[in-house]
Amino acid sequence: MATRKRKPVWGWILFIVVLGVVFCLGLLAASITQRRAEIATLYANKKVDINGIEARNEIWGENYPREYETWKETAKMDFRSKHMGNQEEDILASRPNMVVLWAGYLFSQDYKAPRGHMYAIEDNRNTLRTGTPSSPQDGPQPATCWTCKSPDVPRMMKELGVENFYKTKWGALGNQIVNPIGCADCHDPKTMGLVITRPALVEAFQRQGKDIRQASTQEMRSLVCAQCHVEYYFKGDGKYLTLPWDKGMSMEAMEEYYDESNFSDFTHALSKAPIIKAQHPDYEIASMGIHGQKGVSCADCHMPYKTEGAIKVSDHHLMSPLQNVANTCQTCHRDSEANLKQYVYDRQDKILETRDRVEKELVKAHVMAKYAWEHGATENQMKSSLKLIRQAQWRWDFGVASHGASFHAPVETQRILSHSLDKSLLAQIEIQRVLTSIGIKEEVPMPDLSTKAKAQSYIGLDMPVLEAKKKNWIETVVPVWVKTARDKKRLVSK
Amino acid sequence: MTILKKIPKKFVFPIFLLISVGCGLIAYLFYISRATSYLSDDPKACVNCHIMTPYYQSWQHSSHGRVTNCNDCHVPHNNVISKYAFKAKDGLYHAAVFTLDMQPQVIRPRKESYEVIMNNCIRCHSDLNTSMVNTGKINYTHTLAGDGKACWECHTEVPHTKNININSSPSAIVPLPPSPVPDWLMRLTEKQKEKENNKIN
Repeated sequence: MATRKRKPVWGWILFIVVLGVVFCLGLLAASITQRRAEIATLYANKKVDINGIEARNEIWGENYPREYETWKETAKMDFRSKHMGNQEEDILASRPNMVVLWAGYLFSQDYKAPRGHMYAIEDNRNTLRTGTPSSPQDGPQPATCWTCKSPDVPRMMKELGVENFYKTKWGALGNQIVNPIGCADCHDPKTMGLVITRPALVEAFQRQGKDIRQASTQEMRSLVCAQCHVEYYFKGDGKYLTLPWDKGMSMEAMEEYYDESNFSDFTHALSKAPIIKAQHPDYEIASMGIHGQKGVSCADCHMPYKTEGAIKVSDHHLMSPLQNVANTCQTCHRDSEANLKQYVYDRQDKILETRDRVEKELVKAHVMAKYAWEHGATENQMKSSLKLIRQAQWRWDFGVASHGASFHAPVETQRILSHSLDKSLLAQIEIQRVLTSIGIKEEVPMPDLSTKAKAQSYIGLDMPVLEAKKKNWIETVVPVWVKTARDKKRLVSK
Repeated sequence: MTILKKIPKKFVFPIFLLISVGCGLIAYLFYISRATSYLSDDPKACVNCHIMTPYYQSWQHSSHGRVTNCNDCHVPHNNVISKYAFKAKDGLYHAAVFTLDMQPQVIRPRKESYEVIMNNCIRCHSDLNTSMVNTGKINYTHTLAGDGKACWECHTEVPHTKNININSSPSAIVPLPPSPVPDWLMRLTEKQKEKENNKIN
């Protein structure tokens, strides 16, 4: 007993050692927690707190000045490559055949090459295709036409409900949809991570049994673009924006989808063929090309890195990579700028060669069909020709409507256009057979389509009247929209 | 065991208590530092430390971003043991520097790292570097002796670009680790906050 009494010192030593270890572990834990907490401050150290759906890009600009400043550069109109640029260009004026191809559809009135995202709202208001709605109930377009134009859209969808948003008329939301495509379209305000804000893409994924939330960061760098840069249509009377991907994303798979539901965007005014208007299947076509197949995202080439002083920033000036070969192509391809551009132009030139042939023959098919109708051809006789015209036009539009298809997937685009040429010529042969059977021997007279004005008057459009009406509408209605939006603080006043 | 026998009975309980507190803290350290993630090759593990953000982002945007991960270049691949040994050594060094807030403004590889990196360049690009050019026939030791150049002396921007200070991409979107607070706890505290706010209003 005596020895044990003299030994409590061992107990004290062990107690103090363990106490010291626990104390140091506590310090270490606190230090790690503190460094982990810094991540939160990376997001939290912002000048303004953004909550909910903030459509005003200027507000985001306070927190992210570099991204915002580069985004503002989408207003530039200073670039033109061999074939396209960032300027508004009247395509119908340079390619009057397109007027005839879209006869009976608003595209025959007005079709321009797109400018940067900054002009999304302005150009949407200004095009003749949106008409001159005089009241919130007036057409011709549904609010669905706003879907891709503004971060105000998710805000309104939340307010009205998705279905009701689409059911509303375009003119009814004129003073609500006012900020051009910007921050909130792709970014989560809390984490700045990429988000999908448009229901159509999510729904298309769901119908294919895929969960878009499982997409990787790299995939998201394309999917945020795919919210808009895809083929779509307005389904049913509710004009519900729908992507026709249920059977797949190839041109044939989408055509099968449309055929099955007997869908057509319009009946052609000359040939009476039920036409599907291809929108801009950019995402689909890009994924069929070698860059897409190797996992290169849209942002890799259209939003490359940029250095400002010691800061690196993803360039939010979305534009043609040809404007910035050094930061785009050359980050992977070790070749001269002149060579790289030439490779692109070679592909474009060759495909556009086929496109020019298609447009000539497809127009001829429409005009021949019109001639056959005028000379008493019956619906039964015309049936197979009209089907061929529908197929030819879908293929042509699919190949040319996309921005940059001839570079994104040259082989696929050339294949599609060659099928269009084939179907156009088959349609002509078929119509010729009908013409012969109803006793017409002479050649079908072709109209003079050398200018936009001639083509438009051939299909019966009175352009001066339409243009004057629109001009007056832009001067009277749009300022009221803008004023209301400013008063209600939907727009940042300057 | 003799020491344990010497511990007076009245100390057994407090010592046990302290040891279990210590074990709890170690478990917490494992959790908060996401220790298990370091066993994988996933580059997400490397941005556990947020100062790695610019390096993650520059890699992700580069041509290497689609075919490599951090470990492909930054740890040896001659055998599993040296891979994990190197990784552990590097990792503990990183962890220590980061925890003590001693990181430099521009992070450069350690001496041993250079050799590993160059060996890995050669490992993947051996075809190109032996049949077309002779650069793969030397190793890093040769370059130190002045017999040839290291890969990055010409390929200066591969893959992290020249601009690599730790503040170079303040708003980069990278998979930073989510909050360590579990969702249910977050919801609970948010509800609490709401209640308090309502009271004030």
